[in-house]
Amino acid sequence: MDHDKLDKILSADHTPSIDDNARKRSVNLAVSEFKMAQNEKTSKTFQGNSFLSRLMGRTTQKGENKMETKQRNKLMYGGMATAFAVIVVGGLSLSQLDQTVSRFDQQKQEISAIPAGANVSREVDSQAAAAYITAVEETNEQDTIQQESSAIPVPTETADARTKVSEIHKELEQPVPRPQVKAQSPKSAPTKNITLYNSQQKLRDTGQAKIAPVAPSTRIAPSIAQAPQGLQLESFAAPTQNRALSQWHRPAQDELSIAPYPYPEPISPTYHDQGRDKFEGFVPNPFKQVTTEPVSTFSSDVDTASYSFIRKRLNNGQLPDPKAIRVEEMVNYFTYNYALPKSEAEPFKPNVSVIDSPWAEGRKLMHIGVKGYDVPTQSLRSNLVFLLDISGSMRQPDKLPLLKSSMKLLLDTLHRDDTISIVTYAGRTGVALEPTKVSDKHKILSTMDNLRAGGGTAGSAGIELAYNQAEQNFNKNAVNRVILATDGDFNVGITDREELKRYIERKRDKGIFLSVLGFGQGNYNDHLMQTLAQNGNGVAAYIDTLSEARKVLVDEASSSLFPIAKDVKFQVEFNPNAVAEYRLIGYETRALKREDFNNDKIDAGDIGAGHTVTAIYEFVPVGSNARTSDALRYGSKAQNAIVKPEIAPEEYAFVKVRYKLPLESKSKLITHPVAVKTVQMNEDSTFATAVAAFGQLLKGGDYTGDFSYDDVIALAQKGKGADSYGYRAEFINLVRMAKTLSR
Amino acid sequence: MNEQEHQQLIKKAQSGNASAFEALVNDYYEVMFKMAYKYCGNQRDAEDITQEACIKLARNIDKFKGQSKFTSWLYVLVINTAKDWFRSQNRHPEGTEMVETIAQSTEDADEKLYAAQVWEEVHKLPEDQKESVLMVIGQGLSHAEAAQASGVKESTISWRIHEARKTLSALFGKEERYGS
Repeated sequence: MDHDKLDKILSADHTPSIDDNARKRSVNLAVSEFKMAQNEKTSKTFQGNSFLSRLMGRTTQKGENKMETKQRNKLMYGGMATAFAVIVVGGLSLSQLDQTVSRFDQQKQEISAIPAGANVSREVDSQAAAAYITAVEETNEQDTIQQESSAIPVPTETADARTKVSEIHKELEQPVPRPQVKAQSPKSAPTKNITLYNSQQKLRDTGQAKIAPVAPSTRIAPSIAQAPQGLQLESFAAPTQNRALSQWHRPAQDELSIAPYPYPEPISPTYHDQGRDKFEGFVPNPFKQVTTEPVSTFSSDVDTASYSFIRKRLNNGQLPDPKAIRVEEMVNYFTYNYALPKSEAEPFKPNVSVIDSPWAEGRKLMHIGVKGYDVPTQSLRSNLVFLLDISGSMRQPDKLPLLKSSMKLLLDTLHRDDTISIVTYAGRTGVALEPTKVSDKHKILSTMDNLRAGGGTAGSAGIELAYNQAEQNFNKNAVNRVILATDGDFNVGITDREELKRYIERKRDKGIFLSVLGFGQGNYNDHLMQTLAQNGNGVAAYIDTLSEARKVLVDEASSSLFPIAKDVKFQVEFNPNAVAEYRLIGYETRALKREDFNNDKIDAGDIGAGHTVTAIYEFVPVGSNARTSDALRYGSKAQNAIVKPEIAPEEYAFVKVRYKLPLESKSKLITHPVAVKTVQMNEDSTFATAVAAFGQLLKGGDYTGDFSYDDVIALAQKGKGADSYGYRAEFINLVRMAKTLSR
Repeated sequence: MNEQEHQQLIKKAQSGNASAFEALVNDYYEVMFKMAYKYCGNQRDAEDITQEACIKLARNIDKFKGQSKFTSWLYVLVINTAKDWFRSQNRHPEGTEMVETIAQSTEDADEKLYAAQVWEEVHKLPEDQKESVLMVIGQGLSHAEAAQASGVKESTISWRIHEARKTLSALFGKEERYGS
């Protein structure tokens, strides 16, 4: 082809017109970066060539006081040594928890039998040192700290003033007990002690065989010795230290020679997949003694976000972060066939069944199920405002495009007199669609098609715009709701989280509710989403697929949109004559104080039309051998006596439910005694049990004994029932995936 | 703004003058955007890349020593940013949106179809050839400048351009209708 022709085409300007907003944003960002760079230039601090000098933040000021330097270093090295020692001691005391295991004891003896096990030699890069050491003339001096180490080293001596900058070579002898390293296996990443302890227990199960081949306890210390000291400290602090350490598990060669300068490979996080998704951790509810705490109170939770998130993770071939698991949300994801209330005046009634616990002999499970009154969808109008995140990150196919398809689904279910408006934020904040009647479908659809994610995050008040739209079109007889859809960017215009919550609460009291739909992963802020939806009397749902969108927005449209009761609280009082111990499965984040139950000022969860809420208690009847803690010697007779049939109590517990009708502020009470004879083993309770078991297994299985994924599958198969939408079959598949992944 | 004024702006910015830098970025935004757009062929990516490049420029303006034209230097910065960008996202530039844009811009129906096809093929060239073609033909850099920018010999650039032309000629040359 002709060269000129090609030249002409390629040099021709086909560039589209420039978006002025994008330009301004870029210029602003660049200028602020420029200023920052200039500032750094003028006040540049010495970064050092070695990581140690980085930690110290030394300036290049020449006339620095020598004493100051010494003192600072004393602090620095002392601190590091102390931290190191604390970790060692901490690790040991952990291992002592496990005294019953003779293997550990044996190992400990081995460790204490090795004096001078570890040689920590460290070489500070001489160039780095030169910057400040010139003043100190002891450059070649080798300061050696010899510590005859027993199992528990004396940490403070290391922090002795003898430690100086000039120590180019330093030998620090300390044994490093293996148990400590092991105790923090990646699975125990949650910082709670209990989890830590559990992983220790698991360790015992996995046995010594795993540990031994990697590095026999005698060799651990030398291998660690090759790591520069500062790094060790870093790696101890990180949850992944066992991996980090394994990088130093080289054969212990010539320990006296100067160790090569092993820069570590970057330490990868334990949960590769976690990204910036945020979850709030909590400890599973423990068993409680009926004698000391007979009453259990919690708020209803109809959210299902946790289940969808777990599904997405498993479908991606990753086990979910235990923190992401809320068992009650998994159980409530499924619809159960509870008896329906008759009218709107009494919106629901409790269904209680008691079955034997499948994972622990002698314990029982009490299911409390509630199904909300199903409002005939056609009779209620809705005024919906979508507040859509259109930041650049929403561009991925599982975010904005999925959201658009979801909204189209919803559109089909709405009445022609319902109104919809769309407000966008993050990127371009503004009203994309003024309140429009659903009958004008064409306009709504074309607006949706023109929505485009892009650009950064701008800060004007999207949320206020959204509520303005809702207020403009406020209809007392309709459901007025703002639906916030985001992948985690909550720059809705009110940056202070507390203020945002209060703002949503104020609007809620005016009758405008808020629901939150979460999309995608990587930036997903689970906790905030939950909090906002809870404060806004709405649901928080995580949308990962179009079928999930259909479930949330279409199949359950009435329940996600029409609240039939608000501030629904549950309180269960156990009969100490019949029940010794109990434990609520899930609802950890929904616990209420006992006195809050009757306090109408205390906010709680809401129930929408047709929603089902299920709570499962595991309890140990009086006289059962399955108690977790021993009966009291001086306790009441009823607690200790083996129950004789003729004096058997008639009730296990008394269930109370408080709720408010959507427009009322005074609560109503429903009560339901749980008779000992209540035994209903039906498909629904079997399936709910399987889901609860699965959730607990994913969370670590602290209370489920030997119950395995296979048992969950068998149980779920038994309770699958008709399963007309295929949700239960999908669940069984997820369990299979989890089983494969957990191997 | 003429060449000399630009030189002065650059000098001022290099000495730490923020308002000079702002004026400079404002002025060159369009140039940078066009570079990015030609490279990736769609507006959203081009916007993101240009933004990145502007930020990079803030950090690196000192490094411009005046040995080449500022635009050539800038071009390298933008292209490297774009490469990093796509690498970090694990994607490749698609260029489909650009083809659509061209299809809407020219008057002559045949002409625009042809241009769109050429662009499509350019985006299919091997990465190094595409880069060189975009620099030399698209941006009008000399072979020497492009060589400096890509960190290769001048002869390599010439060879790449030659190869690319050969490929494109093989695709388009034989068609009578589009021949010169």
